[in-house]
Amino acid sequence: MIEVDHIARTYTRGDGTPVPALKDISFGIAKGEFVTIRGASGSGKSSLLNILGCLDTPTAGTYRLDGEDVSHHDDQRRSHVRNRKIGFVFQSFNLLPRTTAVENVEIPALYAGGHVDRGRALAILGRVGLGDRADHYVTELSGGEQQRVAIARALMNDPPLLLADEPTGNLDSAAGESVMALLTELHREGRTIVLVTHDEGVAAHAKREILIRDGLIASDRPQGRDAATARQSA
Amino acid sequence: MNISRTVGHALRTLSRNRLRSFFMMLGVTIGVASLTALASVGEATQQETMRRFKRMLGTFDIVIINPGGSSTRGMPSLTTSPPVLKPGDAAAIASEVALVKQVAVMQFAFGIDVEYADKSASPSVMGVSPNWNEVRGEDIALGEGITAEDDETTARVAVIGEDLRRLLFGGEDPIGKQFRISGVPFRVKGVLASRGVGPGGASMDNTLAIPVATASRRLFNRDYYTGMLAQLRDPERSAEAIEDIKALLRERHGIVPPGEDDFTVTSPQAQIARVTDIGSTLSRVMIGVAVIATLIGGAVIMSLMLIAVSERRREIGVRRAVGASQRDIMVQFLIEAAVISFAGGLVGIVLGVGGTLVATTLAKLPPAIRWSAIAGSALMAIVVGLVCGLQPAWRAANVAPIQALRS
Repeated sequence: MIEVDHIARTYTRGDGTPVPALKDISFGIAKGEFVTIRGASGSGKSSLLNILGCLDTPTAGTYRLDGEDVSHHDDQRRSHVRNRKIGFVFQSFNLLPRTTAVENVEIPALYAGGHVDRGRALAILGRVGLGDRADHYVTELSGGEQQRVAIARALMNDPPLLLADEPTGNLDSAAGESVMALLTELHREGRTIVLVTHDEGVAAHAKREILIRDGLIASDRPQGRDAATARQSA
Repeated sequence: MNISRTVGHALRTLSRNRLRSFFMMLGVTIGVASLTALASVGEATQQETMRRFKRMLGTFDIVIINPGGSSTRGMPSLTTSPPVLKPGDAAAIASEVALVKQVAVMQFAFGIDVEYADKSASPSVMGVSPNWNEVRGEDIALGEGITAEDDETTARVAVIGEDLRRLLFGGEDPIGKQFRISGVPFRVKGVLASRGVGPGGASMDNTLAIPVATASRRLFNRDYYTGMLAQLRDPERSAEAIEDIKALLRERHGIVPPGEDDFTVTSPQAQIARVTDIGSTLSRVMIGVAVIATLIGGAVIMSLMLIAVSERRREIGVRRAVGASQRDIMVQFLIEAAVISFAGGLVGIVLGVGGTLVATTLAKLPPAIRWSAIAGSALMAIVVGLVCGLQPAWRAANVAPIQALRS
């Protein structure tokens, strides 16, 4: 699903000094995996998320997504890839205000060409347990509900990859648990999930954890039950 | 996103933020309304000025000869005119300039006291040759005009204007009545047809006409004219006629270069052109003001949109993340700006047309809606919107999505 080969990303500061955010990163994520990318702030995980999400291109190295080399795509083509292949979930939900739940879910379809399938949007809302909230304005929903609307939005164009950026960061623990349960369920249905976090507890839900430090991979190892199994067999 | 969907989307977005949309529209509305109204009122004024001028000057197959050089302004009267146009000049023009059919002459004086019974007035007095009314194309409403016999006998007869008739005689039949001009008894012979108001807005009916011979010998004791009208055989050749008359008068007045003419010869067409030129300069200035108003409206759109862009960074981030390209975002914001200014323009046109109708009705002008001004305003509104939306749209397209979404 994801093949990252020796990518680097260097920003240029206002005075012209180069700032390396990612130095040399290589890893692969197979279809259907549930992986967390963990790192402290400033470790380079945002830069990596930008690149994995096709919002930015690496200064060096290649990034193949679903078999397609997207490292040199221009804005138009990257936008197309984002639209078809990636569903984003963010820490602060990022739903449009003064807009209903179902209208938010439909947004990705606006940029997919063709007509907007309201029936599909409603079905996905039902799938995340918000069938009865479709016509509510997002401000009328609780944090946990808002995040589930955001997940429904990420699923609208049926992308193979879900990119979640601290999805539980703004939720209380109960709501956080239910969101993580939903993501785990989506993973079981065969979706590839990459979750960016600094929180070890959240990371424990995944099967594998990639730890980033100073723009390099510090460790890449199995997690949770898989890790326990691995340790037992060792 | 396709365009119709984007327009629909823009309408929804704008309706979600009504107050901001209202202020964005307002600037363009004011600009376009004033542009439409000023251009139309300017046009109406110009048309009305033309009409009044025509009324004042009468026919167009004449040239006007006035005493004094080209710097002389205003209606020449006996007190302001140099005594240069003599009866010999009029006779010479009539007989020697082939293009001229006949010459009418006038002695004009302002504010002469007249009395009838216990009523008095001070109209202007015109001593005119018998052919004056014919040359000017003026009508007698009642009674008779000045005849050649009146002139030869220096008869004390007068043809009075409508204002004067009302003032002195009221409901009485004025024909045959005796009244006094500067203490000299005259008899009313006729009433001039009303000419309404002149280009300056003053009535042209507060006047009376007497035979020019009577005026010069019995009333004013002056032997020069304040104006002559030369009627042409061929109105198409007025430029030629003007040159011929000038040459003749220079010869008769002994003017040799570089001496300046002590008279002026013009055509009514030239006089109208001068006045309407002033009018169109005025309407150009007004249109300039309206254009500036519209541009200020554009600046309001621009600054409000820049604020909107920074408020909507999250929304932009979301749209980018789910597949909007920078171009999609740019188009979205440009269309919002265009929709706003077009809507503002439409409202402005409605207000402008309404304002024009009200203004022309109040000023008793013929209603003149200038469609070219309306089309121009609408076009300008859209262009202003697009141009002013450009910078905000560019900024929107360049919002960094992840930073926006994480804030």
